[in-house]
Amino acid sequence: MSQLANQLAIAEREEVSRGIRGLLGAPLVTQRGVPEIFDLVRRRQEPIRRWFDYYCGWAVRVEPRLGYARLVKVRPSTDASRPARRLRTGRAPFDRRRYVLLCVVSAELLTVPVITIGQVAERTRQATATDDVIPTLDTASRSERRALVDALRLLENLGGLEIVDGSTENYVETEDAKVLYRVNTTLLIRLLALPIGPSTLALPIGEVAERFEELLVLITREHRYGPANAPDTDEVEISPTQHNLWLRHSVFRRLIDDPVLYFSDLSPDELAYLTSPTGRQLLRRAAEQGGFVLEERAEGVLLVDPDSLSTDVRFPDDARTANVAALLLLDRLTEPMTIEQVRLATGRLLSREPNWAKAFQDDGSARLAGEAVAVLRDFGLVREAGGVITPLPASSRYGVQPPEVTRQEDAP
Amino acid sequence: MAPLRIPADLFQFSTVDRSELYVAILHAFAEANDRLDTALGLDDLTAWLRSIGWGQPLSDELLVAALKQLGDWKLVDPIQDHTENYRTAADYERNNVRYSLSRRGEAAFAGVTHAMSVLASTGALQTAVLDAIGDRLRDLVAELDGGTDRRIFTTLMELEGHLEALRTNTKQFNGELQRLLRVEGVDLATFHDVKLATVAYLEEFLTNLEQRVHVIRQRIEDVLDRGVARLQRRALTGAELPSLSGTDPGPAWLDRRQARWEGLLAWFVGSELAPPRVEQLHTVGRKAIVTLLQVLDRITETRRRASSAVADFRELARWFSVVPAQDDLHRLWATAFGLTSARHAHLAAADPELIPASASWHEAAPVEVSPLLRSSGRVERFSRTARVRDVAQVRAARAERIAAERAELDAALALLDTGGPIRLSHFDRLDYFLFNHLRDLLGAALATTPNRSGHRAATTSDGRIEILLWEPADRTITTLRTPRGDFRGLDYIVNIRPVESAPGRRTGDSG
Repeated sequence: MSQLANQLAIAEREEVSRGIRGLLGAPLVTQRGVPEIFDLVRRRQEPIRRWFDYYCGWAVRVEPRLGYARLVKVRPSTDASRPARRLRTGRAPFDRRRYVLLCVVSAELLTVPVITIGQVAERTRQATATDDVIPTLDTASRSERRALVDALRLLENLGGLEIVDGSTENYVETEDAKVLYRVNTTLLIRLLALPIGPSTLALPIGEVAERFEELLVLITREHRYGPANAPDTDEVEISPTQHNLWLRHSVFRRLIDDPVLYFSDLSPDELAYLTSPTGRQLLRRAAEQGGFVLEERAEGVLLVDPDSLSTDVRFPDDARTANVAALLLLDRLTEPMTIEQVRLATGRLLSREPNWAKAFQDDGSARLAGEAVAVLRDFGLVREAGGVITPLPASSRYGVQPPEVTRQEDAP
Repeated sequence: MAPLRIPADLFQFSTVDRSELYVAILHAFAEANDRLDTALGLDDLTAWLRSIGWGQPLSDELLVAALKQLGDWKLVDPIQDHTENYRTAADYERNNVRYSLSRRGEAAFAGVTHAMSVLASTGALQTAVLDAIGDRLRDLVAELDGGTDRRIFTTLMELEGHLEALRTNTKQFNGELQRLLRVEGVDLATFHDVKLATVAYLEEFLTNLEQRVHVIRQRIEDVLDRGVARLQRRALTGAELPSLSGTDPGPAWLDRRQARWEGLLAWFVGSELAPPRVEQLHTVGRKAIVTLLQVLDRITETRRRASSAVADFRELARWFSVVPAQDDLHRLWATAFGLTSARHAHLAAADPELIPASASWHEAAPVEVSPLLRSSGRVERFSRTARVRDVAQVRAARAERIAAERAELDAALALLDTGGPIRLSHFDRLDYFLFNHLRDLLGAALATTPNRSGHRAATTSDGRIEILLWEPADRTITTLRTPRGDFRGLDYIVNIRPVESAPGRRTGDSG
């Protein structure tokens, strides 16, 4: 092997790992949105596809002509901290109305190649009027128009809609706004990542709420694992291949998607699989190919992405006051605390640093405490149950350094 | 082009009440005209009406009223007729007035029949018509060189007929094509077949278009050489126009011929201002093919899942309306759309290798968090987390070095680009670096088996450079000189080129 070949191999490894993490950070990568990641994924699609297929069983669809690449994440979500967000300052999460409108609008858009915003609103109004469960869209109300605009802008951002003329935002001000869209039907269809279409279940709407947990599992069941990922069926025997495949994919899906994987959360089978020599080897290989730093500890494993390509938020950092508060609280959270204690501690922090966190200084300690705990919970560092906050093992990662004096490095 | 001015009331008959009767009457006159029976009495008219299938009873009053109305529109001329032998007063009453179609009436009815035929016919792109135009032009040349005026006249008329057919057909076909492109088919299956057939049809037409147009142009040149004015004058002589109206019809006729001839030129030769229309036809055809194929793509794509996707979105909308908690909304979103980001820590232990996997998090040294973060209150405005270790710098430096080497490599490979097949002996002197790359490429190519056409192909492992290699037929040996010695080997023919960055196309296998 010459030096050249080495060079190329290194470059390829780097590109593949960036492509993998890019897709994890944004499962839908469009050429218009992030050209450099799209380009990586397009050029290295084979190894990237192999990686996702082998470790997670997730498909990667690259459509160079249509200008997007899609990682089809199939997984019943247990984490409510990754909502769809409004594309405005503040990036507030979607509420019920916006989610509903997003789905209704998508269904209406699938039938036309080109449409104006007035037609979208009209069709949506008709669709919601004929449905007995969904409240009818009232385009005369400003807040309803805002909700519709937020849904449409999310679709624009994902590439399912392309603006030919006008700006969606104008519709908030007036119903007569003129906006013309071109619909990318293929991409809209691909927005759904479900192996089982919800409409095929034909479930009476009354049962949806009470069977919600079960539903999430139902619509993400994939045929390839047979009965392996349906623990409630004890009918047929599970083939060892399917069983192994399911073990690997179920473990890696969590590892690759979540901040920490605790062994205590795994089933005995999964634990045995992950801690076997084979499992350990796979762990290391997956981390290396994905460009992650693998951290194995007695209580669990986690992947570190030093470039933060594959994560939506960072901790610890100072992007938000809550993140800073979370880090400071973590220093005090050596044992379980009640939420009241956490609030008190937050209050003390605030009064000790009167120049900090101005938005929370006046009686905002409860709010700040809540947000800080949420940050910690979302990173798998604490568990919250019955008003008690319990630190989890990985929280020790961010402990205060032993008294080795650190130089105050000034930030660049 | 002057805008068309239709005489007032010309088509009035087709839009008012009782228009069916008016059309039927005109139709009856036209039929009778075919038999050279031009002036009709009421009885004759009734008979003709029956013969063209007018089934409703018709009183004389009604018929007379209708004829009067048509007369007002100047479509029918009443004629007093005293030449007949009337036997009774009643007979005279009924038949002393006869009616015939006026010029305008003939024109109006011709318009109606033409409109009906356009509705019924389909356009086509007939290669045969192009051939016919070519043939007639050839005949014209032959006749000009030694034929009679009459033959010139008939040939010219045929030529114009074919040109007219080409124009109308193309117009119609294009109209249909554009409509087809606009239709969002309901019955996707037939739609699909129709479009596929259309694509095949267009492709067939376009393949031979160039050559036929070329022939036609050649012959137009030939006619031009012999003089168009002469051609038209001889045709006029051959036409033997009658002059019934007292004015000489010649000049007007010649003007029409000239207009038609210019039409022919506009179609096949073009001018400085406008390219020949045939080329537009070409463009339209090509565009249509592309559009059709795109539509087909979309159809197959949507047929696969669109209907179910619509239903799924609707069902999901209902679910979102009823799931109980705010958190469940976000979880349903994340599950159904799978568009959520993963989440990971970004700070790693200083030396991950040093900590055994059996250590608990509690025992292991914590990761280094910038102290700035903890001194939040004391820093009025803190910037981004400080870089914790120099690893980042090392990595950046390494990346930079790699990038530089890659750039050097790119430059080298660009130098190697042969721009076509050449012999190795043409690489006269190579610097050692380049020679190394060339050797790598040769090695990669020689490691593959020749394909059927006898050449070997390989690409570099990054798939950006492709080499094609043929063994020389004469098996000569060549020597390449490099600063560090000579390289002897078969004088292979190689073609080294950068692979197009078009996705998806890969040749050979990586070396």
